[in-house]
Amino acid sequence: MNIVECRDVRKIYRQGKVEVYALRGVDLSIEEGGFLALAGPSGSGKTTLLNIIGGLDYADAGSISVNGNQIDRMNQTELANLRLHNIGFVFQAYNLIPVLSALENVEFVMLLQGVSPTERRSRATAILDDVGLDGLYHRRPAELSGGQQQRVAVARAIVSNPSIVLADEPTANLDSKSGEGLLEMMREMNEKKGVTFIFSTHDKMVMDFARRLVQIRDGLVAEDQVKE
Amino acid sequence: MSIEIKMVWRNIWRNPRRSILTILAIVFATMLLVFMLSWQFGSYDTMINTAVKVHTGHVQVQAEGYRDRMDIWLVVPDPDAVSRILGDIPEIEAYTVRANAFTLVSSEDRTYGVLLIGIDPEKEAKVSTLQKLIRRGEYLGENDSNTALVGELLAENLKADIGDELVILGQGRDGSVAASVLTVKGIFSSGEDTFDRRSIHMPLEYFQEVFSMRGAVHEVVVLGRSLDDVETIKEKLERGIRIVDDHKAMAVLDWMDLMPGLVQSIKMDLVSALIMYAILIIVVAFSILNTFLMAIFERTREFGVLLAMGTTPGRLMRFLIFESVTITLIGIIMGIIFGSLVTWYFQVHGIVISGASEFLSQYGLPERMYPKLSILSISVGAGIVLVITLLTALYPALKVRRLKPVEAMTAA
Amino acid sequence: MYLQLAWRNIWRNPRRTIVIMTAVVIGVWAMIFLGALMRGVSAQMVKNGIATLTGHIQIHQRGFRNDPVIENSMHEPEMVEALLAEYLPSDARWSPRVRVDAIANNARHSGGLTLVGIDPEREAGVSFIGQAVVKGEYLDAGDEYGIIVGQALVDKFETKLGRKLVFMSQDTERDIASRAFRIRGVFRAEMEATEKQYAFITKGAAQKMLKLGAGISEISILLADYEDAESVADNLKEVIPPDSYEVETWRELLPLVTAVLKMYDWFIYIWYLVIFIAMGFGIVNTILMAVFERIREFGLFRALGMKPLWIVKEVLTESFFLLTLGMIIGSGLGLLSIHALADTGIDLSALSEGLEFVGMSRVIYPVIIIRDIVVANLVVLVLGIAVSAYPAIKAARFTPVEAMART
Repeated sequence: MNIVECRDVRKIYRQGKVEVYALRGVDLSIEEGGFLALAGPSGSGKTTLLNIIGGLDYADAGSISVNGNQIDRMNQTELANLRLHNIGFVFQAYNLIPVLSALENVEFVMLLQGVSPTERRSRATAILDDVGLDGLYHRRPAELSGGQQQRVAVARAIVSNPSIVLADEPTANLDSKSGEGLLEMMREMNEKKGVTFIFSTHDKMVMDFARRLVQIRDGLVAEDQVKE
Repeated sequence: MSIEIKMVWRNIWRNPRRSILTILAIVFATMLLVFMLSWQFGSYDTMINTAVKVHTGHVQVQAEGYRDRMDIWLVVPDPDAVSRILGDIPEIEAYTVRANAFTLVSSEDRTYGVLLIGIDPEKEAKVSTLQKLIRRGEYLGENDSNTALVGELLAENLKADIGDELVILGQGRDGSVAASVLTVKGIFSSGEDTFDRRSIHMPLEYFQEVFSMRGAVHEVVVLGRSLDDVETIKEKLERGIRIVDDHKAMAVLDWMDLMPGLVQSIKMDLVSALIMYAILIIVVAFSILNTFLMAIFERTREFGVLLAMGTTPGRLMRFLIFESVTITLIGIIMGIIFGSLVTWYFQVHGIVISGASEFLSQYGLPERMYPKLSILSISVGAGIVLVITLLTALYPALKVRRLKPVEAMTAA
Repeated sequence: MYLQLAWRNIWRNPRRTIVIMTAVVIGVWAMIFLGALMRGVSAQMVKNGIATLTGHIQIHQRGFRNDPVIENSMHEPEMVEALLAEYLPSDARWSPRVRVDAIANNARHSGGLTLVGIDPEREAGVSFIGQAVVKGEYLDAGDEYGIIVGQALVDKFETKLGRKLVFMSQDTERDIASRAFRIRGVFRAEMEATEKQYAFITKGAAQKMLKLGAGISEISILLADYEDAESVADNLKEVIPPDSYEVETWRELLPLVTAVLKMYDWFIYIWYLVIFIAMGFGIVNTILMAVFERIREFGLFRALGMKPLWIVKEVLTESFFLLTLGMIIGSGLGLLSIHALADTGIDLSALSEGLEFVGMSRVIYPVIIIRDIVVANLVVLVLGIAVSAYPAIKAARFTPVEAMART
């Protein structure tokens, strides 16, 4: 079963009087449990596509279904709910709420979901242990390294048991060693929990880790390669 | 402590200098308002109490129309009937009766037009402060007849002193000439020029004799246990009077009817003060608006992440309002505490407005004034600050509602 | 050069600049506008006091002020009047009066008031009464039995034009003088108390009634400008024998009004200060924000060899622009709103009894006093720059390394 279905997705940005085509009719199906990278140069439209799949941005045309939900017809609040329960995000930077500790950052999503405090606490500590942050629960983001911060971000993204985690350039601000560690951890989570991971990246290492590599160029799918 | 409260609290202290300045602005405004309103309410109380005690009492029974014209023939013909009604009203502290007449009063070499007031010495002492205002000589005794209490300024003008004789000449209730000779027994001073310059008190019984009053009086003056009882007393009294007085010849008036000038000047003072406070608080509001705005705009990216995580815009807005409300409340609570402490200090020690004593005494205010802390003065002041600052906080928070996650995250 | 830099810097974040400028604008507006209203109230009080028989200067027989009885009249006013004709400025006007406490009676009512004997022609140039008659006519100099009374008195006595009132008072021989007058005119005054307090007859009639001869109680003088009262009074004191006569200005004659004026002076300046404090917090905070946002920039300046003093100057210049702009707009709005109310005033008739009680007029007209406007703007500018010194010094203290390290 495909967890993401994109059909003829188009997106135009207007900058003053100039129209910039970010996506020009993307067709893409992503299978459940995948570990997929959207690659391409900057300006290719990969981040836009990721945002549209995550319901952060609207497409101008085309249909997108995520986990069986036709998201191009949803309003802001419905999208917020979809993101809350079905999608986790990891960004390039500024991922975490600076005033909350690692543990609290992870708990925060479950707070929004309405999970009870005790369950929140046990699930958050378990997932932080899983991503290799045991003993650092009470550090604030400023007291963690870049790699550790991204691990907290991943922990936060998957703690709510989403079907998809969308990661936008998660390794861009990391040195290669931390980046590799992070990716290994994410692959482990993918295999262990069956969560679909979709990356947008131009980092070679991410592309190497991905099991399927989709090249986006000029707003279109240029190449779709399944490795095995 | 829940994560939300922690988040709000820590966000407030992310930029302590800024938050402290904002809180200080709110503290300043609240303190000022609590103090000023306590001050105003305190002086209103003093003004009302002085005026009530010196002049009108809380409630009066008069002939209909007497208040405006003060004609000698507009009388309460049977004061005893009114007394019987008064005896059944438990809220009443004391009451007395008075009769008034405009007369010429002459000393050996001076003549002035004055208000001659006939009083029941014993009852009067329980209702008004006249007895305490005696500066020289003595208050009227039970069996006095042709004795008088003269205002200090009038005594000066008349060049009369204790023991001197005064000739009074006026018109009796029946239109006849009323004349008599009174001996000055005491000299009083209230500080209020018109009262001290224009009035003479004499025993009621003798007044009634001289002015052919035939047992009638002009005012039945009632003092309630407190200002709050006035309405009840007035109501009960009115009901009682209607039974004996079926053709509405008598009117029951409270101190507000009797001193409309005082009531209106208090209103005017309060309203103009409230306008000034509102303007002040609006200045404060713009002063702190930047803090609220900055606290939100510099965190736009963070809000982007929160939105991406699935926080609904409404929930985000609530977080921010919660944050602003907390700052506001800290300021207001501190303002109330410090404002109350300052007010309380002056409530105990009083404040002297140097050089204004002569001016203040005209309104029955002493030179040393005491603000009066009350639930009302605290809540009105704090309330104005709360409403205006909350409106200020609401504006930036509402802006967040329109925030789109992608735009927020790419914001500078 | 840093003028340009400072000017551009305050517009880097227009929203922030506009918000704090709004605080300054409202503050300055409130200072100027409410200040002008308070000045209006006090000016009206002075005007009422002066117009209601006080005048700018009064001359009395020595002793009359403490003991205002008929015996303390000026018995030979001709000599004083001759001196006035010689020494008063040519545009000054003056009027002699007889003034006595009396009891008024008619068939139904009686009450005390002040009987004023006037020279109708001269009086019209000095006090309000010349223009105040609304019913009937003003007095003629030869009228022996005519009287002008206030509307409030007419109502109280249930009488009307053409009816008689009997007045009783004490004459110079200490006998009760009594005389009937016919109501020739009814006047209205700014305050009801005035309408109840005064009744006007001719000087001749008063002198005859009180057996006063040529004597008068007082001379009231009206100058072209009330500010001259002190200097003119000083000149008069030199020529009018001080052992027989007292020369006093309105400030001495109306101590209560003088006290209120003094109080308002204080009150206005306290109001300025309070308003400034309210915006002061915002000014400090806004400049602080602007400074902290630019830590890197200031670090760069320092690294380029800029002196700390230069940075202080730059920040203070920004605050100067902010304040000046706010002051100009605020003062402009203040003057505009004063101008808008200049003709109509603020009508407080609904509270007329309260106004009487505190001696205010029914309509308040704002009054512009240049000194107030200057002081208001100076308070904002000087204190505003003073509180901006804190963020400015803060900015100058960033060391280049520290500043560049901050993100």
